[in-house]
Amino acid sequence: MINTRRLLAVPALVLALGLGACDTLTVPDFDNPSLDDILSNPTRGSLGAMATGVMIGARAGLSGRAGYISELGILGRESYNFDAADPRFVSELLIGPLDRGNGAFGGNHWAPRYINMRNANNLIDVITGTAAGALLSSADASGLLGFAKTIKAIDLLLVINTRDTYGAAVDVGGDPAGPLATIESKTAVLAAVAALLDEANTDLGSAGASFMSEMTLHSGFAGFDTPAAFAQFNRALRARVALYQGDNPAALTAIAASFINGGGGIGLSDLYTGVYHAFSQGPGDATNGLFDPSRLILLAHPSIVADAQGGDDRLARKVVTIAPVSDQNSRGVTTDRAFDIYTSLEAQLPIIRNEELILIRAEANLAAGNAAAALPDINLIREVSGNLAPISGAAWGVMTAGEQLDELLYNKRYSLLFEGHRWIDMRRYGRLDQLPLDVAAFVVHSQFPIPANECNARQDNLPATGC
Amino acid sequence: MRRRLTFVLGVLGILFGASNVFAQTRVITGNVSDALTNDPLSGVRVEALGTTTSTLTDADGNFNIGVPVTASELLIRRIGYRAVAVNLAGVNDVQVQLQADIFRLEEIVVTGQATGIVRRNLANAVSTVSGTDLQRVPAASIEMALVGKVAGANIQQNSGSPGGGVQVELRGVSSINANAQPLYVIDGIIVSDVAIPSNTNAVTRAASGSNASSVQDGQVNRIVDINPHDIENIEILKGASASAIYGSKASNGVIIITTRRGRVGRPQIRLSQRFGTFRRSNSIGMRNFADAAAIDDAFGAGTSAGFTNERFDLEELLAGRGALSTETSASVSGGTPTTRYFMSGLWKSDEGIMENTGFDKQSLRLNIDQDLGNIRVAVSSNLIHTLARRGLTNNDNAGVSPYMVFAFTPNFVDLSQNADGTYPDNPFERSNPLQTLSLMTNIEDVWRFMGSARIEFDAMTSENSSLRFIGVGGVDRFSQNNELLFPRELQFEDDDGLPGTSLFTTSSNENINIGLNAIFNYSPVNGSMSSTSSFGLQYETRDLNIVRITARNIASGLGHINAGTNVQVFENRARVEDFGFFLQEELLLNDRFLLTAGLRADQSSTNSASDDIFVYPKAAASYRFDMDGFFSGLKIRGAYGEAGNQPNAVARFTSYNATANIEGSPGLQVSGPIADSDLRPERQREFEFGVDIEFGDARATLEATAFTRTVSDLILTRTLAPSRGYTFETFNGGEMRVRGFEAALNLVAAQSPNMTWIVRTTFSLNRSKITNLPVPAFVPANAGFGTGLGAFFIEEGASATQIVGPQPDCASGRNFCRVGDSNPDFRASFINDLSFGSLNLFFLLDWQKGSDIINLTRLLFDAGGNSIDYDDPGTDGNPLGLSRLIAFGVDGTTYLESASFLKMRELTLSWDIPESVFSSLWGAVDTARLTFSVRNVFTITNYSGIDPEVSNFGNQAVGRNIDVAPFPPSRSFWLGINLGL
Repeated sequence: MINTRRLLAVPALVLALGLGACDTLTVPDFDNPSLDDILSNPTRGSLGAMATGVMIGARAGLSGRAGYISELGILGRESYNFDAADPRFVSELLIGPLDRGNGAFGGNHWAPRYINMRNANNLIDVITGTAAGALLSSADASGLLGFAKTIKAIDLLLVINTRDTYGAAVDVGGDPAGPLATIESKTAVLAAVAALLDEANTDLGSAGASFMSEMTLHSGFAGFDTPAAFAQFNRALRARVALYQGDNPAALTAIAASFINGGGGIGLSDLYTGVYHAFSQGPGDATNGLFDPSRLILLAHPSIVADAQGGDDRLARKVVTIAPVSDQNSRGVTTDRAFDIYTSLEAQLPIIRNEELILIRAEANLAAGNAAAALPDINLIREVSGNLAPISGAAWGVMTAGEQLDELLYNKRYSLLFEGHRWIDMRRYGRLDQLPLDVAAFVVHSQFPIPANECNARQDNLPATGC
Repeated sequence: MRRRLTFVLGVLGILFGASNVFAQTRVITGNVSDALTNDPLSGVRVEALGTTTSTLTDADGNFNIGVPVTASELLIRRIGYRAVAVNLAGVNDVQVQLQADIFRLEEIVVTGQATGIVRRNLANAVSTVSGTDLQRVPAASIEMALVGKVAGANIQQNSGSPGGGVQVELRGVSSINANAQPLYVIDGIIVSDVAIPSNTNAVTRAASGSNASSVQDGQVNRIVDINPHDIENIEILKGASASAIYGSKASNGVIIITTRRGRVGRPQIRLSQRFGTFRRSNSIGMRNFADAAAIDDAFGAGTSAGFTNERFDLEELLAGRGALSTETSASVSGGTPTTRYFMSGLWKSDEGIMENTGFDKQSLRLNIDQDLGNIRVAVSSNLIHTLARRGLTNNDNAGVSPYMVFAFTPNFVDLSQNADGTYPDNPFERSNPLQTLSLMTNIEDVWRFMGSARIEFDAMTSENSSLRFIGVGGVDRFSQNNELLFPRELQFEDDDGLPGTSLFTTSSNENINIGLNAIFNYSPVNGSMSSTSSFGLQYETRDLNIVRITARNIASGLGHINAGTNVQVFENRARVEDFGFFLQEELLLNDRFLLTAGLRADQSSTNSASDDIFVYPKAAASYRFDMDGFFSGLKIRGAYGEAGNQPNAVARFTSYNATANIEGSPGLQVSGPIADSDLRPERQREFEFGVDIEFGDARATLEATAFTRTVSDLILTRTLAPSRGYTFETFNGGEMRVRGFEAALNLVAAQSPNMTWIVRTTFSLNRSKITNLPVPAFVPANAGFGTGLGAFFIEEGASATQIVGPQPDCASGRNFCRVGDSNPDFRASFINDLSFGSLNLFFLLDWQKGSDIINLTRLLFDAGGNSIDYDDPGTDGNPLGLSRLIAFGVDGTTYLESASFLKMRELTLSWDIPESVFSSLWGAVDTARLTFSVRNVFTITNYSGIDPEVSNFGNQAVGRNIDVAPFPPSRSFWLGINLGL
């Protein structure tokens, strides 16, 4: 019957059509370039943009209200965050336990650092890859490599600063589907940071007089925007790492090659010479979240006032009095001090600056048993930064080693207030138990746990501690 | 593409040709009337069974039809009535009375792209809700009007904010991370239901905290624009077994909306005017401090200064508004046998319970049907304007969201307006919500056009077969502008050093649909079988472009974004192109045995490989037994189908983020997410089995369905080990199983000429289980604020909606384990529709049992020392509020509560005014009805929060039931009059 034949024609037609189907449904990404495309078809311009990306990534997660500076300030009893919207700035950071499951608190200061290590590794891979060979002179390539490795080292250092003895993954940057990098010990991580900085220093040494023109270092690198000056910044970081490693000779060697300016006649502004993270209000740029004009959220710990030596100008300069503010958890904690350190949305955040370098030299000398060599540097800071009387050689001579260390740490505390050092320094000397507890329920955390996401992905091969 | 369609048309034309078959006929005349009222029925379809000959009755119920002499039976049917078959042996004049089809057993239910089956024979459990049922009580959006009327649907409003934001979940969780909303089809056109954030995040900084999600703005899914008065009915295909024909977009179910169209006859005018008001229906309450000493004790010495023992109901001051809301609706419809029209207009103005909140809607519709011999053209057009003023709610990290602020503002603080018009600063928080709501603006302004044209061409009609071509084309285009202004005078506005925030987001969406179907019917004259074969093609594009501008530091009195000194711009563009074709065969044997089989094949630009073809088959069968006695009908049915769920428009990309810079120097950064190189749709395979029973001559029906579905190739957003340098990877993997049961019992409890009592109940439950997870268990995106506060956790062997939290000794080896589940044990509803003479009472009860909710609002009130039960004794000797605060980090059940509730959603009392009353006033009026209706009459729940249904993160399958300072719910009262002219 004719109808039956027609009926059968329909599937035949569909089959014919199905074989041909539509082949033009490709839609590109209108918002962003493809990662593969940038990696496999680099240009000098894209390499410059990748370098800027590394600087942007280096800034991520530091200046927010739940950023590195703010949270390390809370753990180190420099600051509070009494933001009513999130009770965990008290309940988790001051009482605990730290929740590894939460990317804003216990699980914080990990992912942004590794993302930026990926940024740096991508840049390094492209520079060392074949495609870039025709684009870059070897001097340009070395300059970029020295830059990328230095910033990558900072990121890895910040990770181990928060994880301490739990360790961290070092050998990252491979195929995202490949095996995970092992969580290595604190010693190994610090050694890796040191090695990376040394490699970078070598690269910078074989760079030209300037970085390639397509790479734009922001204003936070002012004065450090040539490979030679950048190498001084690199050495400054190396000195800090050596100190953390307990390698005092290496610290002193590195500091000598850094931009340290500890001679006579320096003024307060010279102490602020250094490399910073920059912020701006431009579209697409970020502002410094540590600026809190309301003075209701980022607050100063009262012990800063109580512990200050009389007339210490650093207290007057950095801390202001406000109407009392109470903690959002009704734990009965109150403070009437806030900071006057990051005073605008565009205030720069120090990566490392001269004042720290002078104190590193003092500390390395002190730790190496050369207390006399440490005194001039300590006095320099006391006088220039604190407007305090110098300690006489005689007085210094009769102080015990513990008292000398107290004095050094006192100056580090007030000179580098709310810059992310106090908690680390106290931990290095096993003095976390000296940090003040406002109420009995409070504790001082010694390190952040490894984030849940990291642990979950390592269920088959969990690190010995931290998960 | 165009070339291909033309080709197909040509081939089909050649294959089938157009033919005319001549047959000998005789004339039958008759009359059709309503069995209960004896009123004549117009527009009744009369057709000779087994042929394609048919006609319609006129205004007096008369008809006249020429049928082939071989025809033995006439089938007489009309929407809303049960069909009757009349034996023609020796009969030339037919007098028929039709029984009202209360349970719509005779309606045609859509089963293909352009075909349907009478419900009585249907092999799937497809729910239908009539326009009348949607319009009894005004609802925020049409989804809320469906609540309790569809077995197997879990429909919840994300907050009480005016103007929608509603999640529809059909048969449980159907996805974990991909789109969770059903597909909406209006008059054959796929329309957009996208939800675009308003960017309140710029002031709430909700995304700056522990969950960097941009979906906390309380956004509205755009189906809210639809005018419920235009709807003839809504059909709900709940899963793949029914929706396979919609292919890769259908695994969340399909909601098919058919709008009203003109019928032959004189102009029918319907007018409806309602006046109403919204009132806050619940409050959280605050701690009452006994005296100044207690205040000083809680907040520090001196904080009680000025305490006068006076207390303020801050919630009432903020959300105590009860302004007049109105809804005016009018429609005119009618037509000649060849031209029919339906026109409607709506003017709706809902005034919210907070100052400066509300929802306005205006809609104009024109639907025209024109018959041109063997071509029929149907055009639908709808122009809509909606304007929502949503206020400011939900999560916030800036101390601005009202209930977030109240958590820290004790009730002895007077925040009300000063005599000079200014507002006092809130001494306990960074903002005064009364000031915020009074001075801020948050407008969502949408203009939308939806239009479609459908052309049916009867290419061939013979005694026992017909071939139709149906071409459908349509467009859904809207532009949405979100204009928000937070003037610098607001207390919180100097917090960031850039006082004054002006936000402007402009979004445009364009959906274009083109479809072509060929339908071949074959039914031999003897009536033993009827076969419907259909074939079709669909091509669809969707474009969504969003441009968002955030301007800060706005001078006093100014509001324009270009007045800001700090301006941030965001752009998002996405385009999707889909192509699909289908083939379907429906075979009905002896009007009782239905066999259906079909397949759909889809390509989409959303897949990594846009050329790949994904095939979705389906098959179904049902057999109907007719019986005498108490059981008058029994049908057993089974259906299997597969459907997909596409990756979102940009999920397949691994991008370098090129949007950030430092001091104007542009940067390229790894943005975090990466995509698998073979991203493809999720695939749902669903099998359902059911029985439909008719009792006592269809005075009662029971529809019971069990289903089991597996969803494989889940589009998962896997959290990578952050040390990889990437945050998430979107990939296909794993499998989820959902099993469930649903039943609907409809009962005419009493029926007489002046009394009808209809009872309808629905019951449904489902259970999900992750049966395979190829990656370590993880917390999906937007599913909480860390496991410490309670979060959703996707884990093999567990329910997809389980909630985990800290527990002292978790067997899992983690420091957290399962503490609850957001999926209810069951949902049930109970509808009573009682008519007594000219009076009608309708009410709907909705019951949810055993769902858990994470009450972070309570945590905030505890943290602020301000929860109403703070001073009750706690288990550890501390006040209850403090003891909860101490416990929550170690015990994840501390802020987990039951979200069980019983709500009376709708109540309507109406009175049909006797003709004698109004005919003297206005002779033109045929019918007049007065109505009094209430939505959200009452809620019975143990939940301590403001509403157990809220969702901070908006519409998502996993991660609902997170309560963070939502907009309070409201109850609305309406007085209305409906006139028919």
